[in-house]
Amino acid sequence: MSEYKLFAGCVIPNRLPFLELASRKVFEKLGVQTSDAPFSCCPDPVGFQSTDKESWLALGARNLCIAEEEGKDIVSLCNGCTQTLKAVQYDIARASELEKQRISDILAKVNKEYKGSITVKHFVQVLIEDVGIDKIKSMIKKPIELKIACHTGCHYARPAEVMNWDDPEHPIYLRQLVEACGATPVDYEEEVLCCGAGAGNAKTEYGLGVLKRKLDSVISAGADCICVVCPACFTQFDTQQRALSKMVEKEYKIPVLYLTELMALGMGFTPKDLNLKYHGVKTKNIMEKIGL
Amino acid sequence: MSMDLEFRRIVLGKYMDSTLHYCLQCSRCNDVCPVNEVSDGAYNPRSVILNAFLGLKENLIGKPNNIAVWGCQICDTCNLTCPQDIELTDIFYIVKNLSVQAGEAPEYYVIQAKAILESGKAIPLQTAIERRRSQMGLPEVPTGFEDDVKIILKETELEEKLSKY
Repeated sequence: MSEYKLFAGCVIPNRLPFLELASRKVFEKLGVQTSDAPFSCCPDPVGFQSTDKESWLALGARNLCIAEEEGKDIVSLCNGCTQTLKAVQYDIARASELEKQRISDILAKVNKEYKGSITVKHFVQVLIEDVGIDKIKSMIKKPIELKIACHTGCHYARPAEVMNWDDPEHPIYLRQLVEACGATPVDYEEEVLCCGAGAGNAKTEYGLGVLKRKLDSVISAGADCICVVCPACFTQFDTQQRALSKMVEKEYKIPVLYLTELMALGMGFTPKDLNLKYHGVKTKNIMEKIGL
Repeated sequence: MSMDLEFRRIVLGKYMDSTLHYCLQCSRCNDVCPVNEVSDGAYNPRSVILNAFLGLKENLIGKPNNIAVWGCQICDTCNLTCPQDIELTDIFYIVKNLSVQAGEAPEYYVIQAKAILESGKAIPLQTAIERRRSQMGLPEVPTGFEDDVKIILKETELEEKLSKY
């Protein structure tokens, strides 16, 4: 397995370092080699692309150039970063000669040249394709016997023509990985519904409205917790349940685990090793349930 | 109400050969849009597409509390569902970019863009997190992108595009 450039993004390293910690531990156990690089903001496909597409495209292209210079593929810990980097590749490949020249002129100012020569992967793709379910199963020492609602999130596989990964309507790989950890993925009606983080950027109540629909579905399916693969979804679920509880006067407190946290627990790391204390929605009850 | 030909040209510029002409106004986008539901229809992707296609710019830009444009959270559900394969979110990006320059972006978007302009990251590192990282034994967050970002964003004139905020 060749070494990847780790694209950790903004949210994980700068706000949720415990998710980076779990990811690095899991990668090390599984032999996924990574190295760091001076990447800027990806930038955010929802926010910054809406603000100014050209700036978004140029900064995304610069990040790609950095990995290209080393001839290494990128592994990303975030749906948003993955989508931006893949969408920039997709857009440049289909741009007119004039548009291509414009991006190339901008990059020349920082001595970069875009080639489109590397592959960008979400870490779920690396776990499935490079490591494989069987190896992951063999590394699980402590089966996590919980009922889990899998939430892949929007930019994990949509738009399908850009992401070209998993089934955007019925994603299967997160379920397989959750199952490999000894957990049971539950069926719930709103599995592919957005977490609502994006809508909250424009109007808080809209974001909470989408979150409510999602969580009601998770609760009625009897899930113990939600498993996510994106720090934006993690933040929405982990920090906005309190605001939602206030808005609708009903308590919501479903714990959220990032996939690499779940895997690390299965590999024998303790909640203390993983700094689960930094979660907004406390994980104590589910940890007791599995004897941790 | 009149057609803004320049606006229509921008919207259709990239899509003359694509499927936008074949929008049936069937409203499947509205049916699946999570924000259409929670906003009681205040955000209506079908209507954004219709107004953009017809060049009716004043229906989209120049209104206070422009949720008609900014309700979209780019979840790409409408894109996935559209029976005519219209790339709705790509049209929404064009409309939103123009709305930004008209001074109508919600605060979140402006704060984020200014953070990227100043620090190169949407969410800059804080001292407390730096400390937490070192307690966890994590390496320092790589730097060395700041100058490149400033040069690139000067070239794309982001500051000028944000001049109304």
